[in-house]
Amino acid sequence: MNVTKSLAELCPLLIDEIYGELPSRIYSTLITRGRSTLSQLRHYTALTERQLRHGLAVLIQQNLLYFHTDSDTRTTTYEANSRPAYNLVRTGKILEMIETSYGPAVKDVMQSLFILGQTRIEDLKAAYKVRIRQQDEVAGATEDDIMFDGAEVAPAANKPTLPVPSIAKLNNILCRLVETGLVEVVHVQTFASPEDIFSDVSDRVMRNKFPGGVKGAKGKLEFDEAVAMELRKIRRESTTLKRKLEESGSAAKRRKLLNGAGVNSEHEPEGDPVLDPRQVIRVNYDKCVVELRNRRLVDFAADRIGTHISYVYGTVLKLLSKHIPRCHDDPLMDVGEMRDEDTRPRVVTTNEILNSLPTAVDVSQGVAKVSKNRIDIYSATAVRPNPPATDPVSAILNGNNEEDGGSDDDSDYEGPNGHPAADDSAAVDGDGGVRFAETTHKENRVDMLRQHLYLLAESELNFIRHCGEEQWTVDFKPLIQHLKEAELDVVIEHTVGRQGLRLVRILRKRGKLEEKSLPTIALMKKPDVQTKMLEMQTAGFVDVQEVPRDPSRTANRTIFLWYTATDRCISQLLERTYTTMLRCLQRLHAERRKEKDVLLLTKRTDVKGREQEVMAEGYYQRFAAHLEAEKKLLGQVMRLDELVAVLRDY
Amino acid sequence: MASLASSRAGTGEDTPKLEILKDALYEEMIQHGDQERLYNQSDLMGLNVIPKNDLSLLLNVIQGLTADQLVVAVSDSRAGIAWRYRSREDAKKYSSLPDTETQMVFALIDEAGADGIWSKTLRNRTKLHDAVLKSVLKTLEGKGYIKDMKSVEHPNKKMYIKAGLSPSERATGGPWYTDSNLDEAFIVGLEEVIYNFVKMKSTYSRPTKQPTKGVVGRKRTANDISTDADGTPTPAPVAQGPAGGRKLPAYLPYPAGYTYYPTAREIAEFIARSGITNNTTLSEDDVQQLVDILVYDGLIEPVVVARRKGYRTTRITKQEPDVPQQDGMEEEEKRLGAEPPTNGYVEAPCGRCPVYELCEEGGPVNPSGCVYFQRWLGHD
Ligand code: SF4
Repeated sequence: MNVTKSLAELCPLLIDEIYGELPSRIYSTLITRGRSTLSQLRHYTALTERQLRHGLAVLIQQNLLYFHTDSDTRTTTYEANSRPAYNLVRTGKILEMIETSYGPAVKDVMQSLFILGQTRIEDLKAAYKVRIRQQDEVAGATEDDIMFDGAEVAPAANKPTLPVPSIAKLNNILCRLVETGLVEVVHVQTFASPEDIFSDVSDRVMRNKFPGGVKGAKGKLEFDEAVAMELRKIRRESTTLKRKLEESGSAAKRRKLLNGAGVNSEHEPEGDPVLDPRQVIRVNYDKCVVELRNRRLVDFAADRIGTHISYVYGTVLKLLSKHIPRCHDDPLMDVGEMRDEDTRPRVVTTNEILNSLPTAVDVSQGVAKVSKNRIDIYSATAVRPNPPATDPVSAILNGNNEEDGGSDDDSDYEGPNGHPAADDSAAVDGDGGVRFAETTHKENRVDMLRQHLYLLAESELNFIRHCGEEQWTVDFKPLIQHLKEAELDVVIEHTVGRQGLRLVRILRKRGKLEEKSLPTIALMKKPDVQTKMLEMQTAGFVDVQEVPRDPSRTANRTIFLWYTATDRCISQLLERTYTTMLRCLQRLHAERRKEKDVLLLTKRTDVKGREQEVMAEGYYQRFAAHLEAEKKLLGQVMRLDELVAVLRDY
Repeated sequence: MASLASSRAGTGEDTPKLEILKDALYEEMIQHGDQERLYNQSDLMGLNVIPKNDLSLLLNVIQGLTADQLVVAVSDSRAGIAWRYRSREDAKKYSSLPDTETQMVFALIDEAGADGIWSKTLRNRTKLHDAVLKSVLKTLEGKGYIKDMKSVEHPNKKMYIKAGLSPSERATGGPWYTDSNLDEAFIVGLEEVIYNFVKMKSTYSRPTKQPTKGVVGRKRTANDISTDADGTPTPAPVAQGPAGGRKLPAYLPYPAGYTYYPTAREIAEFIARSGITNNTTLSEDDVQQLVDILVYDGLIEPVVVARRKGYRTTRITKQEPDVPQQDGMEEEEKRLGAEPPTNGYVEAPCGRCPVYELCEEGGPVNPSGCVYFQRWLGHD
């Protein structure tokens, strides 16, 4: 992630918000000065060595730094890692997502992992043991039927219970989190920056496999492949535990269990392997982001197509992303045929979707019912074996094709028996016909489910692709591009109005256009177009290219070509979003400064918790108003993070 | 060709014969094409008027016709020199003009046809002095042969067109212009009509009685979560309809493959039938233009089903139910379509800030003290 000015200012503020001023100050120094040694840091920050060591320890505990110890000089350099620092703002959202998707117990464990940073399993268990014991003591005072640590816990009726009532349960949840990939193993290379790893690996590969140097294009290719393989090996280190669990077959067992009751039921899970207590683990943000992306896409589908259909979509995404470890392929590692098994595109079948669809989802809702003669079954069920073109040039070409109504070049338009599509009688042929032929009978669940899937596939946005008979996949890249454009368009519309957005969309679709042709296409007054274009140029949404028709370069012998660079707009918006987050946080600090006396008061132990009773009326009101403002500002920062996630991470 | 062009004409043909040939040739030219048609030398010979393929006779005839303004020589890039004829009526006009300058100017205006011609172009092409040109134009206007016109492409240019012609669509801007002004009210009105038509045809309007089944309105309780706590992403609460739950969408999408989404042609037919455009007729292309704009505005989207391109409303389930408009006449600034989506950026004060670029902590405009945040936080 390249660090821009606003991001470099934002990260220390986020660290300050959570871990206090000392780590924030060190981090800020590192991010502005670049990698530094301890003595350099002492020089830059004027902190004592003790303070520095303490601050660095906090930062390392939370994975906010890279460090590297030179094997010759034995000196260690530290470097700011901006990704996890930024991610601090996302913690709340991840926890909320975990809670809705996996339940409060899993959330509780994740929360502990967030608080502890990287941690040994042993330590985590110890922390839980303390809490469980305390709980038991409290409960023991009032109730008799307590069970002990590691054994059954009485089904909790109305008494307050811990979300994680036993160590066995904790172990079970951890196994589950490791399997999903939400928690990963910390290994020796975790704290090495990608650049260091890359140069280490390249050196090693060069030394061991290419002692005579890399020669020619073929040699270069082989070298790159070898490096990629080594890099992948290192990356796989973080999934050692996951693979061990998978091999032990516990996943299958758990699946059986899931079908019966699910982890949140009070059935005590059995047969989970006890995890190596010395193993160090942490939250895997990459995987969390994959799940957040699913949620965002479900929202997107709900907005565009409908809430009911989005439930089905959620199931499709869940199934597909089981094996998606991260949103973005690594340009170095995930290339060519050799790429990791788990980064290849996946498909799911209609049956798999049916089997996983929560029973509470009513698929009879959400789509209108019409008689089958109003439906063209071959268009609806068309199979598109190839993903839509992603490179802009052919996208433009396809866009033009679409004008002629020929957008589905890829689709096998003819029916399975080669019948022309409009032939209605063909609908009863083949197994495709059965689905629609019986609309008079009560439709069964799988038929109705298919309706949802077809509709998702029919959308211009291609939420899913019918990639083979009864097989479905999601082309994330173009879909996310649509999502980014949608967010950008929201901003454009709010900034320059619907007509401005119209002009941008025209340019996006048609490429460069002469100023003269815009009023006709957009059906707007010429001066209005001119004003709008200038306004949008200032806002950075469009730009103009001047092409002189002759060497005189006079204005009336010059063609003005307007265009919009969508990717540039997106990165500009990302930058502005960081800046806006930064300003929200700066404002928050200012608000705190303003209400300093009140806030100081509420820190007093005799006031804390009973502010309303003990504080003077005026003071309390100021306090309440401040809390309100703080909530609003932090809430806005989270909202902004959603935008960052779309524009940068998904 | 060169031989004909350079050969000297005017030998001793007797005039009556020449007059007959002139008439005959002229009539044949009219029979074989309109005033646009270019006849080259062999075309003219092919008309079988000139006996014995007599070249110099042909030349004499043509010269005679040219002198009568009935035929004009044009140099055509492909065929070399060629001729076209003029109507007798036009020829009379030309002959009545006092001098060659006036004829020249009139010829240019005539040639420009329905697109008209800019006075500056006239001056450049004729190389006439401004004052001369002015008086020539005045003469022509006075005779009622030409008139000035306005073109929407060049609203500020002084343009002339032959009297009796109506300006071309390019100049008037088609049906969207009234007196060469873009008729925005007309366009906006039509777009609303089209939008509503597409919405009616492309969405299923749910009966007002709300079914109680389905998960959408139900708040998820802790119990629900634990029964399907399997990592299925569900839409965030905000996505569950504008009223946060209870409300079911007023409209539903049709299943995939629906073949009754209206096409541009059907929309055009609907508009023609409805008679709302009373004295303007809109072609299918005109309607397509409006439809495209609705697509650019993100209000409708094309769906190709069975090689048939229909249109449907976007964000169907987000549409507000139709409320019968009481005083439908004065709904000012009504925005078509569902509420536009928002995001964290446009909701924040900075996202709409006029001094965004100037703002910096420590500067004269800064986050700590700015009035926009002040207002946003409800501090005043
Ligand atoms: S002046 Fe206020 S609203 Fe404007 S950019 Fe700065 S902080 Fe944001």
